[in-house]
Amino acid sequence: MKDSDVIVLDEPRLSVADQFYLPQVLVGLGTTMKHMFKVLSGTDIVIQYPEERREDMPVEQGGMLLRTYRGVHRLNKDEEGRVKCVACFMCSTACPARCIHIEAEESPWQDREKYPAKFDIDELRCIYCGMCEEACPVDAIELTSMYDIVGLTRQEMIFDKEKLLRIFDQTVEDEPM
Amino acid sequence: MSWIETHIPAWVFIAFIAHGAILGTVAYLILLERKIAAWTQDRLGPNRVGPFGLLQPIADGLKMLLKEDYRPADADPRLFTLAPALMMFVMILSIAVLPWGGTKQTTRTIQVAGTIDSATAVAEQNTPFGATLIGTPIVQTSGEDESAKSTITYTYRYAFQIANLNIGVLYIVAILSISVYGVVVGGWASNNKYSFLGGLRATANMISYEVPLGLSILTIVVMYGSLNLATIVEAQSHYWFGVIPAWNIFTQPLAFFLFLTCIHAEANRAPFDIAEAEQELVGGYHTEYSAMRFGLFFLSEYAGMITTSAVCVALFFGGWHLPGLGGNVDPAHPSVTTSLVVCVLRALVFFVKTLIIIGIFMWVRWSLPRFRFDQIMNLAWRAMIPMALVMLLVTATTLYLFGPHDEAFRATGLITWKMAVALLIANAVMLVIIAAGAALLPAAPPTNRRVRVLGSRFDQAPAAVPATA
Repeated sequence: MKDSDVIVLDEPRLSVADQFYLPQVLVGLGTTMKHMFKVLSGTDIVIQYPEERREDMPVEQGGMLLRTYRGVHRLNKDEEGRVKCVACFMCSTACPARCIHIEAEESPWQDREKYPAKFDIDELRCIYCGMCEEACPVDAIELTSMYDIVGLTRQEMIFDKEKLLRIFDQTVEDEPM
Repeated sequence: MSWIETHIPAWVFIAFIAHGAILGTVAYLILLERKIAAWTQDRLGPNRVGPFGLLQPIADGLKMLLKEDYRPADADPRLFTLAPALMMFVMILSIAVLPWGGTKQTTRTIQVAGTIDSATAVAEQNTPFGATLIGTPIVQTSGEDESAKSTITYTYRYAFQIANLNIGVLYIVAILSISVYGVVVGGWASNNKYSFLGGLRATANMISYEVPLGLSILTIVVMYGSLNLATIVEAQSHYWFGVIPAWNIFTQPLAFFLFLTCIHAEANRAPFDIAEAEQELVGGYHTEYSAMRFGLFFLSEYAGMITTSAVCVALFFGGWHLPGLGGNVDPAHPSVTTSLVVCVLRALVFFVKTLIIIGIFMWVRWSLPRFRFDQIMNLAWRAMIPMALVMLLVTATTLYLFGPHDEAFRATGLITWKMAVALLIANAVMLVIIAAGAALLPAAPPTNRRVRVLGSRFDQAPAAVPATA
């Protein structure tokens, strides 16, 4: 770096009142006092998260509409309890985050040629855009409204086929296909 | 029981209670700080441990005690341990001279067998250490010879505080300056460049702001001609026109603002917290500290806030004074009371006032951004010290001009309403003069100065190569 690369900026000149700091200090104190009053008087709602959830509140009061929420994926099952997916790779092709990894194999069933032997979704890479859901020709992959998923390792957050099918079992009652 | 009352000085009990109360409050101040921080940021703050998070300080304390007390390998082991202890020691010491509850007067009657030669000697024997006898004891003797009994009635007074020093204010200023050693020693002993820089900055900060702090205290001292905190508080406990309490906040508002700013700087808290600026210095002087050693640094910061706020209350808000808490013995000495309940109430009032000032501390901390180092130095040396000097000059001049003509002031040394108005006008005039003077001051040195640092790109001379043997 040369001296000519250095851009020297001068501070803006303060007015006399600002030089005393106090007027601006009082303005700042007023701002924080306003916030304190808002919280203490209950004007600003603070949601106690694990006990209170936004989906339990009316939308007008800051609640969340779960019907349109895009959360964790699930792999749907058909009436016989088999995975619906036909391993067409449409979802992984559509995926902008490239987080879907499918390994197809010859299907053991008569109604389709292929089925996914492996179906992994990296939930940490996923941006929850819902493109996979849109692309799927057999409605096999869907986004549920579950949003509070946790894991202790990155490996844990790569959901495999079994896990995704389990999520279907968990959510199918609240969110039918 | 009576032996305890007459032979153990009251300050022993007051010391136990005051220190217990203050050190207990310190833990809860941390909770209050976190609560206020949360409220200003639209949150609720800690509320999981106990109702409203009231057990949080206990959980924090347990955590501090049980954590590994880590010390870096290259740190100076003795100084590293000494620094937090020094901080806490200083903060506990400085509580000693706070005038909690004025003066307590006690009248006591004792019976002694036989006749006595000197009633005063007996009364003195039965007066706790530190209390002073008032008047001469009254002796009544009944019975003859063998069965004679003497009843002695005597009155003594003692200050309802731990130590009634004549140089109370000076003592506090002196003790608080020692606390800078805790910071510096801690920063040095850690053997860490961030700690060291934090210590350096804290030193510069505290030393600079001690000057206007002392000067703004001096304006009050000049008004009453006393360094005794109890005297200063008593002088404020009368009324103008029978309603307005004669607190110094009404006569010296500018001194109060200066003092408030200085104690913010002394506490090394935002907006003057360059000593522990997280973004630049990790944790400042306590970067390397953990567990209870860090805990002591943390607690002493809050204990220091209590002390300085209490001094602020004593100097500017009339200390324990509140309507209804005056004395019942002598109208000229409103601090003297015979009621222990009034003394305790006064201590509570004093404490509540202190807590309000501490609330302001916290409110300011979560409102204002940190000053840059050069801004802090400019504020101290180019603004506050000249202002404090002018203020001292103006106060002294006002007292010199109006004092001799004011009969009440000459007689009692109290600030009369005429004096108060004169001082207020002087304050207003001073504000105008200072505002005008600010425009006339030469400009501050440029903040983007290039400082020659050996080996840096601004250093034109080639770096000296150490000669190899």
